[in-house]
Amino acid sequence: MSGQRFLDDVKPGDELPAMVKNASRAQLFLFSAATNNPHRIHYDREYAATESHPDVLVHGPLQGAWLSQFVADWAGPKGRVLTLGWQNRGRAFPERDLTFRGRVTAVEGDEVALDVWEEDDTGAVLMPGTARVRLPRR
Amino acid sequence: MAASLIPDETRALVGELLSEPVTATITAKESQRFALAADDLNPIYLDEAAAKAAGYRTVVVPPIFLAWSLTPARRVSDLREDGIYRGGGRRVNLNVKRVMFGGEEWEFLQPVYAGDTVTAETRLKSLEEKDGSSGPFVLQTTETTYTNQAGEVVARARGRSIAR
Repeated sequence: MSGQRFLDDVKPGDELPAMVKNASRAQLFLFSAATNNPHRIHYDREYAATESHPDVLVHGPLQGAWLSQFVADWAGPKGRVLTLGWQNRGRAFPERDLTFRGRVTAVEGDEVALDVWEEDDTGAVLMPGTARVRLPRR
Repeated sequence: MAASLIPDETRALVGELLSEPVTATITAKESQRFALAADDLNPIYLDEAAAKAAGYRTVVVPPIFLAWSLTPARRVSDLREDGIYRGGGRRVNLNVKRVMFGGEEWEFLQPVYAGDTVTAETRLKSLEEKDGSSGPFVLQTTETTYTNQAGEVVARARGRSIAR
């Protein structure tokens, strides 16, 4: 968590500080439980292999939750995330660093438009997205 | 011209509800279980005083959690071989081999608070037949509208999948 972000301090081209996640297998299990998701590709490596996955996969929705966290943390407690969208392009694996990055693309009134994305540890973009955030003024 | 990937009876589903509306009350406990499982320690989800200081009425539900907070409990005997529950609701039948999840777009219109009772309605928004580099495919979009106990639409989520 960071502090409060203010509109006055934001301009197009600004980069968001990166957020790194690295999911343990136990965390994947907890997320499956918290979302009542019994899909075997998230905890059963032998089963995942039958669907041509070299390991269990990090849930798409967990990566979505992280993207949401990344934007909400940047905005701070009095910021409001208005929209968030993403495309699922590639597989994410546990015990590997996943890095969330973003950039301010526009400031219109009190709303800020962001490009945001998730990269794996090879730099491949797994999940590109966009967000719109309302920020308070100082 | 090749046969359409979209049967007429499936095309007729566009705009229709894909299942009965689902209503549930979201507890702080399950909402916090979700936030903590995602390792999201935002105090507005966890601490009443912090939520109030940020301008909220009480602790907030992580907005993305809406998608799972309403799912009813299911029987183990409903599980398929891959561990997914057999589908309830109407099937969107397409002349394709596989369906891949493509992405989501959320609009967050009002905060969702722990204790809110939310109703979700999911409709088939559109079916678009397209030509890709690896052949024709269907871009399927569903839209779920989430409404709280006061009748306010709190969020809309559009989900895209690619069927080929």
